[in-house]
Amino acid sequence: MRPVLLQGHERALTQIRYNRDGDIIFSTAKDQHICAWYAHNGERLGTYHGHQGALWTVDVDPTSTLLASGAADNTVRLWDIRTGKCLKVWDFNTAVKRVEFTEDGSQLLAVTEQRMGFLGTIVVFDINLDVDGPQSDERSMTITCEESKATVAGWSYLSKYIIAGHEDGSISQYDAKTGEQLDNVQVHEGLITDLQWAPDRTYFITASKDKTAKLVNARDLEVMKTYVTDTPLNSASITPKKDFVILGGGQAAMDVTTTSARQGKFEARFYHKIFEDEIGRVKGHFGPLNTVAVDPQGKGYASGSEDGYVRVHQFDKGYFDFTYEVERQAKAAAAAQQQQQ
Amino acid sequence: EDADRYASADLAVVEHRRRLLDEWMAWRASVEEEVEEEREARGLPQDPIEGLIKKTDESEDQVIE
Repeated sequence: MRPVLLQGHERALTQIRYNRDGDIIFSTAKDQHICAWYAHNGERLGTYHGHQGALWTVDVDPTSTLLASGAADNTVRLWDIRTGKCLKVWDFNTAVKRVEFTEDGSQLLAVTEQRMGFLGTIVVFDINLDVDGPQSDERSMTITCEESKATVAGWSYLSKYIIAGHEDGSISQYDAKTGEQLDNVQVHEGLITDLQWAPDRTYFITASKDKTAKLVNARDLEVMKTYVTDTPLNSASITPKKDFVILGGGQAAMDVTTTSARQGKFEARFYHKIFEDEIGRVKGHFGPLNTVAVDPQGKGYASGSEDGYVRVHQFDKGYFDFTYEVERQAKAAAAAQQQQQ
Repeated sequence: EDADRYASADLAVVEHRRRLLDEWMAWRASVEEEVEEEREARGLPQDPIEGLIKKTDESEDQVIE
């Protein structure tokens, strides 16, 4: 699994997203511009300039037409991916920590930071996928987080729920039409740093500073799996095609107070999604992994680090061949059954 | 005797994994069916982006090396 190193950011990476086809990677960092890269060779396709502060988040709509970004300059911006033109700027009172499109790209949510005098919110905008068409000035919904601010949020299957992860380690489920809170469950013991979906958005994975990642059912917020590590986690992603999850984290050098702390721990960790076992690690970064993302087509993954680099890995044969005995047996049994029919 | 004990421990692990895999596959089957029905009931296409991607002009798809 020889990685491609993407050099172009000058500061710590904050989020990586693949487009739906898995051929383009978008990355944001604290250096105020968004980068787009070809996934297969790491060539830079373009940059998006305009934000006046550290970028925290990026997402691409399912048709790879529009890019949305959120930053410390208290704005969400919408971009024409092809031309690099900024199509819309929405202003807020505080920084924007997460943006995400619905599965059909018709709406966008943004998570705003809590600050003196301002509670954290989740806001929703209707999106026009036509780059030449107008975008609405007004938000279509606002959810205010009275209890604990949201750090991450996303849209479930059918865009039925908005699911948010909070600073206090709890997860909320909101009605995506009305914004009404339907449920809130304490899932982690520390801040939730990431929330990423399974391909059909019926379940998701959360990463937390409490050193665990959890697989959660979007319908009833039941924790189905727990992945235990020895380091605070910043990101977690679910692989399609194989039943794995990839976790990223690590202790920042300034936070390591004991000399006994093992140097590094800056590895991407692979766990079996169903059996919860750790099955491998990938080294390479010189700082904590702030973000991991998996190609939706299942061909590879990318990690972005505090060290300012993105590393893109193409999965090799060994990755696809790796199976547990019970998985092989189940597959053989299913094939036999199909043959009988 | 030791070998027997290891063998039974391995067997227990394998049985545990088999149960986890069965449970997972059963849950996936039920949730997939449920979501498919719900999509249909709401009049949504099975693929959420169906119809969103317009047919592009052939020339636009040409890759320039």
